[in-house]
Amino acid sequence: MTIRILIVDDHPVVRHGLKTLLGEHPGWEVIAEAADGIEAVEMADRLSPDVVLLDVTMPKMHGLEACRRIRENAPNCEILIITQHDSPQMMREAFLCGAKGYVVKSNAARDLLAAVDAVSQHRNFAAPESKVSGAN
Amino acid sequence: MKLRILIADDHEVVRRGLCTLLQSHEGWEICGEATNGRSAVEMARELKPDVVILDIGMPNLNGLAATRQLVQQDPTCKVIVLTITDSDQVIREALDAGARGFVLKSDAARDLVTAVEALQRNRMFFTPRVNDLVLAGFLNRGNDGSTATAPRLPQLTPREREVIQLLAEGKSSKEVACVLNVSTKTAETHRSNIMRKLGFHSIRDLVVYAVKNNIIQVQMPSQPTAPQDDSAA
Repeated sequence: MTIRILIVDDHPVVRHGLKTLLGEHPGWEVIAEAADGIEAVEMADRLSPDVVLLDVTMPKMHGLEACRRIRENAPNCEILIITQHDSPQMMREAFLCGAKGYVVKSNAARDLLAAVDAVSQHRNFAAPESKVSGAN
Repeated sequence: MKLRILIADDHEVVRRGLCTLLQSHEGWEICGEATNGRSAVEMARELKPDVVILDIGMPNLNGLAATRQLVQQDPTCKVIVLTITDSDQVIREALDAGARGFVLKSDAARDLVTAVEALQRNRMFFTPRVNDLVLAGFLNRGNDGSTATAPRLPQLTPREREVIQLLAEGKSSKEVACVLNVSTKTAETHRSNIMRKLGFHSIRDLVVYAVKNNIIQVQMPSQPTAPQDDSAA
């Protein structure tokens, strides 16, 4: 079964990069892209993706607020936070807001595929070598 | 003949995005990818790219210092800097370093191809804000006979700026020496010269200075939204 993915990041270049990385995996499909938290909530509601890749620092609506709202509206949709913040505190907030995984952008090339694989199967993911380890 | 482009950014996701964007343009090829400014300078020496695209906030050697070295190494080298901010300070430093293009990361998908095309035609590419600043500098020069954009950090040599970045990133004098391929004694001399010139007495002062002057960039933690219900996890 195809895993349907929504990418949310305010930088189009990052979205391009994420799409390219995800495109290498058979059975995954990027169904849409959003540039801010409000768009993300609206698209997740409308498209019901299996996984949302969600940036934290975005205009209009903070990623963690978007995370909380998406989880409220679509509890089956799993959220993978992808952020520049390598911070245990931020990761804790993300998991409290309902995220299933947390990947630091600088490690995305290494961790992204494993993370999407994990959260798409409703398993938690946090990078093992990151400062934010311990949530697996 | 294809236009050869070297990309430098410490985030692979961004490099992938840039590659996707640029490779879709006929007649352009990515000849190399670097993960920091120092690698970019070394790779440019070997690969002789037509255009170098450099992120500013990179470890080891930031994009502005790398631009200086690239232009010094090869005055015909065409550099586009990618930045998350177009503050006056960053713009001035980029221009001073010899960049011919200046693109905001948030606008890269829209502006980068246009910027590379401009450089390909031996033109420059700047955001509207940079153009305004350049024009203001030009007009000011007409009034008082001097440039309004006085170079920043005038008392520091490019080498000393490199050392500041490495020290502010937490490297010891020995590690600085290793990166720069100089003796530990030389690295220590640079360090004491820097501290003396800037009137600093601690590395903490140096780190603050490096952050304030965009020599290193730190991630400012955004305010996460407090969860309304802990059971949401």
